[in-house]
Amino acid sequence: MSMTDGPTPLPEAAAAQAAADREAVAAGPGSSVTPERRGRPGIFGAWGEKWNALPRQQQWAFLIVVVILAYMLPLINPPIITTEPGNNFALACFDMARFALIAVGLNVVVGYAGLLDLGYVAFFAVGSYCAAMLTSPDSPFLHIPYLWTIPIAMAVTMFFGVVLGVPTLRLRGDYLAIVTLGFGEIVRILATIIPAMKGQVGFQNVGHPPGTEADGTPIFSNSNGVPWYWLTLTIIIIITLLVGNLERSRVGRAWIAIREDEDAAEIMGVPTFKYKVWAFAIGAAIGGLSGALFAGQVGFVNNQKFDVTTSILFLAAVVLGGAGNKVGAIIGGALVSYIPLRFTAIAEYKYLIFGIALVLIMIFRSQGLFPARQRLLAYGRTAYQRVAKKDGASLPSNGKPPTGLRPDRDREKGIQA
Amino acid sequence: MTLLEVEGISVHYGRIRAIRDMSFSVNEGEVVSLIGANGAGKTTTMKTISGILNPSVGKITFAGEDITKMKAHIRVVRGISQAPEGRGIFPGMTVMENLDMGTFGRKNRAGVPQDLERVFDLFPRLKERIKQYGGTMSGGEQQMLAIGRALMSDPKLLLLDEPSMGLAPQFIRQIFKIIKEINKQGTTVLMVEQNANQALAGAHRAFVLETGEITHSGTGKELLANPAIKEAYLGVG
Repeated sequence: MSMTDGPTPLPEAAAAQAAADREAVAAGPGSSVTPERRGRPGIFGAWGEKWNALPRQQQWAFLIVVVILAYMLPLINPPIITTEPGNNFALACFDMARFALIAVGLNVVVGYAGLLDLGYVAFFAVGSYCAAMLTSPDSPFLHIPYLWTIPIAMAVTMFFGVVLGVPTLRLRGDYLAIVTLGFGEIVRILATIIPAMKGQVGFQNVGHPPGTEADGTPIFSNSNGVPWYWLTLTIIIIITLLVGNLERSRVGRAWIAIREDEDAAEIMGVPTFKYKVWAFAIGAAIGGLSGALFAGQVGFVNNQKFDVTTSILFLAAVVLGGAGNKVGAIIGGALVSYIPLRFTAIAEYKYLIFGIALVLIMIFRSQGLFPARQRLLAYGRTAYQRVAKKDGASLPSNGKPPTGLRPDRDREKGIQA
Repeated sequence: MTLLEVEGISVHYGRIRAIRDMSFSVNEGEVVSLIGANGAGKTTTMKTISGILNPSVGKITFAGEDITKMKAHIRVVRGISQAPEGRGIFPGMTVMENLDMGTFGRKNRAGVPQDLERVFDLFPRLKERIKQYGGTMSGGEQQMLAIGRALMSDPKLLLLDEPSMGLAPQFIRQIFKIIKEINKQGTTVLMVEQNANQALAGAHRAFVLETGEITHSGTGKELLANPAIKEAYLGVG
């Protein structure tokens, strides 16, 4: 058996996979083999396969083009896509980026570790208040430059994530969801009743990054979305790269294992509690970062923007995009923000429309627009190839294995089952 | 030498007691079977040894160390590995990724390639299907994957919770043959089973569990010959 056929050296496995895929399509929702993690081979699924088949260089080249286009978006202001005249397009772009960042953060909690968090807006609120209370002239606290509030907001929300996580992450599933829902409300109500947080009056003139135009107006003004959008987009790219690295690391494998089966993860040697707290803390920090950016751009923070529906909207963004897929989360977040801004006539009915859209997506595409497919082995391609190579060298495919089940007999079983 | 020593443990689910004052030991190099009917406490025993459940009284010693209060994920590092009841594989991961998860807790990374080879020798099916998702495999294949994954942590003690559950008869014979092979290669095995015939035939020693207590013990052959056990578990009067 020769090994000259390049990067797909495992015909048996490929055939088995193809058989499994056929089986998956045929099995349908009533099948006993956990259908929820299997993507339907739809239009996006085909894209995903093509994408994975491309060589690294082409993937990078394509990504660079996409990133440049993303940066140019508010400047190009494409005619059909634009949200004008109803909404300033650059500001809309910032809002989309903000939602995308939130979705990336929530995706760590919900998508990777599988912890249903219905109170994520609380972390967003904590981040917003951090930025506001450390920069606004209305605040009695010490005032520091705005950019310093970003790491501080992340650290503080991370702390809140741990404080919430340690007592609650012993709970699972529905119970955890209810507790996080409660936490979201607690933060909002505290902002109302603690005098120093100024309830509905809020904080005006929240700081912004330094720099002024030639005429003396600040570059990062409330009315100019472009610099804010670029800042947020840059942060999204950095965070996505960091989160992507985590996903492929030991930490990511632990999260996915916890999501798949928590008890099994524990008896594989995964300290499940520790990794759940980490997921919560990292997710919280990204939420706080987003909150600080939001506070800076809007320039005003009060208790009105942090209600439960916002939490649900964040969750909708992740589920819509495809829980567990960071690209899906970015697109889901951007869409959830974009649709009401673009179609202002229907903005009033946005929850109705999102509701219907989510129901339809759950029926026809139960894993979101971009189903998650983690590649958990850091050097997955080479790992599979190494095994395949050994296979070719040491074990003829039609040879009889020393012990174990005979492959020829039950292969048919596998297809029929 | 005694590898695992269970002394007087009782386990409760809330106020319901599933195991009462159970004591037994597993020596290094043995295959030990716990047999019993539904609800006898077999899975509870397994979960208590692997650390998912905690005993309310009693003591568990592993390789001379008291592990009664030890967290499950640390017991894996110490050398206890379990293929859980109902397989407990990760359905959304490929075979290769499942096997990789098995190495999560191990310290000696250098031995991973050999152990992978060993698992593929025991279960050639897994090698053919390294890219297949765990959830799309048949019951027998999932059982192989669960055992293979447990072996990837290089355990001293392998816990098997009903390895024959839901399998066709010829699969069952194969699985027990493989368990014997694993034991020959130097891994101590503790299994619980409903399939008393196979479990007793393949075991050095065995215990019979009834409503949370050990009622009979002896070598596998002795218990196979015991008339009471024949009647209750082997279906011959």
